[in-house]
Amino acid sequence: MKRPFDFWYIFEAILDLLPYLVSTFMMLILSILGGTILGSILAWTKIRRRPLATGFADFYIYIIRACPPIVLLFLVFYGLPEILLRGFGIDTNHFSQLFFVVITFSLLFSATMAEVIRSAVAAIDKGQREAALSIGLSDMQAFIRIILPQATIIALPNFANSLIVLLKEGALAYTIGFIDVMGKGILMIGNQYGAHALEIYIALGLLYWSITIFLEQVFQKMEMKFAPDKVYRVEKRSEKERRKHEF
Amino acid sequence: MNFNLDFMVATFWVSLTGLGVTLKLTFIPLLLATPIAFAFAIIRLKKNQGFYQIITFYISLLRGTPIVLQILLFYSLLPSVLNALFESLQIELDIFSLNPIIYAYIIFTLNSVATLSEVFRSALLAVQNGQLEAAKTIGLTSFQAYVRIVIPQALVSALPNISNTTVNLLKGTSLAFLMTVKEITALAKLEAAYGYNYIEAYITIFVIYVLLATVIQLLFGFLEKRFGRYKYPRNREKENLYA
Repeated sequence: MKRPFDFWYIFEAILDLLPYLVSTFMMLILSILGGTILGSILAWTKIRRRPLATGFADFYIYIIRACPPIVLLFLVFYGLPEILLRGFGIDTNHFSQLFFVVITFSLLFSATMAEVIRSAVAAIDKGQREAALSIGLSDMQAFIRIILPQATIIALPNFANSLIVLLKEGALAYTIGFIDVMGKGILMIGNQYGAHALEIYIALGLLYWSITIFLEQVFQKMEMKFAPDKVYRVEKRSEKERRKHEF
Repeated sequence: MNFNLDFMVATFWVSLTGLGVTLKLTFIPLLLATPIAFAFAIIRLKKNQGFYQIITFYISLLRGTPIVLQILLFYSLLPSVLNALFESLQIELDIFSLNPIIYAYIIFTLNSVATLSEVFRSALLAVQNGQLEAAKTIGLTSFQAYVRIVIPQALVSALPNISNTTVNLLKGTSLAFLMTVKEITALAKLEAAYGYNYIEAYITIFVIYVLLATVIQLLFGFLEKRFGRYKYPRNREKENLYA
């Protein structure tokens, strides 16, 4: 069973796969939204330091981080329909796979985002908030106008890392039949009875790799733009922090 | 379909028989990768042109693509490549009857080399240059200075990251079922397929993975304390005071 390796087919495959990047990005954007909202809530409970809520948030983050993404994906894919059906009488048979994929990766992303947001807010000097309050801003105003913009910039490098990890973990979505770039590639291999498998895998690899490099560059540019004086410091700090947020 | 507790307990024991394979898949690649990753880290720090480019390329590639894809790619590529290699070397070995776990070792090692070399590089960077200079002024050779002064310190600061890498690798081994390796996830999937008890099976292995990750993190936490003692002399005094 030896087929010749067709180098040019790699480019053909890339062209065939490109339109499916839309679903990959759709999944990513929705998961980022869901994960950031849930992560903010978790971070908020941790910042307020109510023992019970913080304990729960810590437990949740720990569990999600220790669980392999594929196990969580299967758990959501098989478990959630049961819960929705029994608990709320919602029939998920006609739901698209996108729904389950987004739920899974929102859960995964929220755990990383919670830590990213918490550490970014914690990195802001307390004086900033006190100064804002002293000139008459309300607590809410102080947070939105003073702390949030600064925290966002501090969070950028870690956010970029988490995003890239999410992109890579997102490739698992094909295992439940979601058709993104990866899913389409696997379909293409199946349709051709395994012919050109190698070429398609290489095409997928090149696509993912270029997206990763693109994201890295974009975020580096953003850091340079928003915090040119901080880039060096942030780089140094994130060497350590980065690993912390990777898993 | 009812929630089947007996099934969960049964699956737990069945999945546990895959524990050995999972642990092997985690620690053997880690051990194989460590020396290579260390060499890569040193080469990258020394900015040895040529090698530097190749290694940076390698690390970027392995860290820029999903591990599922690496598994699928290497699993379809490796057998034919190895076969061709052995044929050209005239070694009589039937590649296609090899245990697939060998491929899993190779793939996870390749992947860990990339992550670990970054870990080692940042750890070596974290050791102040003065340490190396001071070691040289008292007459140690470069090699001695590295082995006795720099590396022990770097290792301590690398431990949390090594711990993360290990947990990540443990999570990554759940994908070995794609290579028909019978580890925890594969066994649970197989058990679940008989009676469509997927939920129970996945909850079971969820628990197993969380427990495993906890054990690994506790282990590394202990190592960190043990080897990081020199960092906290004040604590030691306190211990002596109250002992």
